[in-house]
Amino acid sequence: MIYPKRYDVIVIGGGHAGCEAALISARLGVKTLMLTIFLDSIGAMSCNPAIGGLAKGHLVKEVDVFGGEMARNIDETGLQFKILNKSKGPAVWSSRAQADMTAYKLRMKYVLEHQENLDIKQETVDEIVAENGKVIGVKTHLGNEYLCDSIVVTTGTFMKGKIFIGLNEYRAGRAWEPPSEKLSDSLRALGLRVSRLKTGTTPRLDARTIDFDALIVQPGDDEPVPFSFKTTKFNRPNMPCYLAYTNETTHKIILQNLDQSPLYSGMVESVGPRYCPSIEDKVVKFFEKKQHQIFLEPQDENSSEIYADGLHTSLGYEVQLKFLRSMKGLEKVEIMRPGYAIEYDFVDPTQLKHTLEVKNVRGLFLAGQINGTSGYEEAASQGIIAGINAAFYIQKKEPFIVNRNEAYTGVLIDDLVTKGTKEPYRMFTSRAEYRLILREDNTHLRLAKKAFDAGLMSKEQYLLIDEQKKKIEETIKKLKTTYVFPNDRVNKKLLELGSEIIKTKTDLAKLMRRTEFNYDKLRELAVGLEDIEPFIKQEVEIDLKYEGYLNLQKQQIEKFKKYEDMRIPEGFDYNLVGGLSNEVKGKLMEIRPTSIGQAGRIPGVTPAAVAILVVHLKKVNDKRIRNTA
Amino acid sequence: MYDDDIIAAIATGYAVAAIGIVRVSGRGSLEILEKIFTKKPPYEHRKIHYGHITDSNGEVIDEVLVSVFKAPNSYTGEDSFEISCHGGLSVLNFVLERVFEAGARMAQPGEFTKRAFLNGKIDLSQAEAVEKIISSKSKRALFIAQRQLAGKFSSRIEQIREKILFLMAENEVIIDHPEEDLSFVETKEKVNMLVDIKKQLKSILKSSQYGDMIFEGVVLAIIGKPNVGKSSLLNILTGTSRSIVTDIPGTTRDVVSETFNIKGIPCTILDTAGIRETNDVIENIGVQRSKKALKEADIVIAMFDASNGLDERDVRIINYAVKYSNKVVGVVNKTDIKKAKFRLPFDKVVEVSCKNEAGIDKLEDTIADLVINLENDSDIVSLNANQKDSLKKGINICDKLIEDFQRGVDPALIGVDFISLADSLDDIVGKISNEDMLDTMFKKFCIGK
Repeated sequence: MIYPKRYDVIVIGGGHAGCEAALISARLGVKTLMLTIFLDSIGAMSCNPAIGGLAKGHLVKEVDVFGGEMARNIDETGLQFKILNKSKGPAVWSSRAQADMTAYKLRMKYVLEHQENLDIKQETVDEIVAENGKVIGVKTHLGNEYLCDSIVVTTGTFMKGKIFIGLNEYRAGRAWEPPSEKLSDSLRALGLRVSRLKTGTTPRLDARTIDFDALIVQPGDDEPVPFSFKTTKFNRPNMPCYLAYTNETTHKIILQNLDQSPLYSGMVESVGPRYCPSIEDKVVKFFEKKQHQIFLEPQDENSSEIYADGLHTSLGYEVQLKFLRSMKGLEKVEIMRPGYAIEYDFVDPTQLKHTLEVKNVRGLFLAGQINGTSGYEEAASQGIIAGINAAFYIQKKEPFIVNRNEAYTGVLIDDLVTKGTKEPYRMFTSRAEYRLILREDNTHLRLAKKAFDAGLMSKEQYLLIDEQKKKIEETIKKLKTTYVFPNDRVNKKLLELGSEIIKTKTDLAKLMRRTEFNYDKLRELAVGLEDIEPFIKQEVEIDLKYEGYLNLQKQQIEKFKKYEDMRIPEGFDYNLVGGLSNEVKGKLMEIRPTSIGQAGRIPGVTPAAVAILVVHLKKVNDKRIRNTA
Repeated sequence: MYDDDIIAAIATGYAVAAIGIVRVSGRGSLEILEKIFTKKPPYEHRKIHYGHITDSNGEVIDEVLVSVFKAPNSYTGEDSFEISCHGGLSVLNFVLERVFEAGARMAQPGEFTKRAFLNGKIDLSQAEAVEKIISSKSKRALFIAQRQLAGKFSSRIEQIREKILFLMAENEVIIDHPEEDLSFVETKEKVNMLVDIKKQLKSILKSSQYGDMIFEGVVLAIIGKPNVGKSSLLNILTGTSRSIVTDIPGTTRDVVSETFNIKGIPCTILDTAGIRETNDVIENIGVQRSKKALKEADIVIAMFDASNGLDERDVRIINYAVKYSNKVVGVVNKTDIKKAKFRLPFDKVVEVSCKNEAGIDKLEDTIADLVINLENDSDIVSLNANQKDSLKKGINICDKLIEDFQRGVDPALIGVDFISLADSLDDIVGKISNEDMLDTMFKKFCIGK
């Protein structure tokens, strides 16, 4: 039947991308429908029971500022919280939490179910229906046709998903959930290039059969910090993880049984992530390493299932059991679910715009693993951007584009649509050119205005953040204009504080730049400096201590923006540009960059080619101006 | 791409010519002029200013005329100036390098014209030409760069690149994978690697000076005791060459004096003044001066008198030559009077008679052979001024990074300095992208939590 209710936006999939896309679209006031294969798996964590981590923590916080749910959800369901890299500089601090994955998905489902404008249905989408280059609806396996104006596809690993355990293979989207067999054919029919990627997961172990006393305890931080800037009440447990090690016996078992690995026997040919290798890969490629770390993480506060991080494997069940039991503390371990490798269809993301809309099909947006990424956080950040833009498309608003200089989300999307990916793409802090500015601690400060202007943040929230920002600026100004003099009291105090004496009149900002100084020490030195809330102190310290480097990055951003602002008109004909090689022309015509800056980031487009483009664009512009004059 | 940062280039091309022009353009370019020019502002628009270009120590590089053009009434539409130097590519290059040192960068192919167009100084039809210029010039630049990297030199470059990539990758592992059980190179070892990179960069810079010899001229020195015939030989060498290109009286850089060709290779003779003085260089002007000449010369011609045996002064000259130079040609003069009865400890020895101009051809061949052998030597590279500037910047950043590691600076900041290092060496070791860094990271480090 043609379903009687008509939707503005249909989101296909209920994973981390789908949840954010559906929620934000509904929150922006457009009629939204989520269609998912299995309702009980909404917000499911297919792999590790954790949110955040290096560079991923940044993404979670950005999603939070853009009106997403991931940060709030983990703040309500986390089992331990930790800030990684606390001993290093603030630019690379990263939040991570272990999640109660059952509680996590139940709360996410609850939030979706209580969202106005959002319907949720369990159906498998077989086909996307488009007319005249525009989507008009979807067809499901039950024979229903839903009409809509925009679609966000977030299929994760489900399109033609195939699981491998040893030499056995199964069709599944995630451990024994049915895959989506037809949808990628429909995408192909719409003209999209689809290929295969691979990833894997680890065995889940029974806690009752693990000797935890033989392992190293790894608790979270004593004073946990929530992810969301909106979280006020925060009281979560601190459940430990445990560290185990493989040994030479483990490695021997694995090496002797490589013929049982679909990855080594040639059954799986697609590319897996290099940063998340299987234990087979680790043992083979780093033969000289005598042991590898295995992190045993709780999956659920009320369940015995333990996730064995670091043990991604697709070896057969028997081999998995054998090598697990060779490890100290796991001698008697029982497997509850085996590890497996999974192969799935993904769409070459260079076919997308920065809004995550498909270039050739109006109203069709893709987000998450379908775009070749990996990770819940990468999925969520794309989900929210796709959801916002799907809603704005309906509302005929300007697209919402996040740039590389603004957020990790911007880096992620720009990398995908400009360079594509050959392996499941994961975020790293090194991918962000302006890493010192794009920090976790200042996420809400740097993105509040953008979020508020786009209607993604309430005025109350925005004003609060703005207040913080002003306070930080005022304090910095004050420190720069408050002086101490080289008298006995000051120099005695400086020595007491473990610093060096001053010889001339010195402003407090300058003292702050000394490694050993912080705001509280300045207060001991300069009478009358008021106490301020810890967050403001921290930001002031970071801004002053990093000032030289921050200014350098600010200058680089100005330069970057200049090139981003040189727009290339849609439909620009590269054949008219003399002096470009055919190879460069081909690349430009394929990616269709929107700016000179983006053109320069396309692999293979040389600086000389970019220079030619700049000149040509100016020529075209001049001609237009002359003709209209 | 269009920046208004300051660019510079030799505007008169690389052919041997009597005068040459270095052109500089960009916002703030006149501040650069102020730094390097003995005449201080005001610099009037469209006026020619006389003075000297000096190095950072205030030593004069060349006596020049500078034409100043202010925005928007210049070729590019920006503040700009042109330095007319006395010819000789080495002088032009010294001046250009000085301009870089003061803050300019090498102009891209066609960049002056591009700016002129973008600032509305030339019209559409000319712009068509600009596209062609950029594309043809960059093709040529690419050809030259590829040729250079194709040689054995590329393996040295590859080693530097690998070291930088390794250090970058390790720094990023420390940042992005804090929970991995990995052993890292000790700080001391990292410092050693950086010292080594620096050493390599310095050595390339030095090799490039040999390279310059081929492209920009060979520097010769003639040494020998009084009346051995240095002056005659000089006259023959410069006289027989068809083109005495320039003679710059009053140049304070005593290294540059006369340029001529030997078998088509541009040559200059060091310390002609010293040679032309009738008195002995070594004894009267001083040992220091001849040592300096020996060190600075690419090829040393050590002259001896066949009509007399070797005396104590000859032996001293032989010792100096062996000690301070590795390219010595022994010349035994006055063979018209008597055949030599002695052997010289040099690989190349040529007998000549300046009086009859006998053996000169053979001498020229010997010198040319030496130069050509140098060219085939894998250690020799020819770098443009921009690449040399890159090497110098790279060396400085190595120093900064060494300090960073010794002080235990935050890895996030070290990361910024590594990116500067990679960027500055872009035209030496090739572009180092984040993907390259990640490739190294996953190859060298077992990551997989």
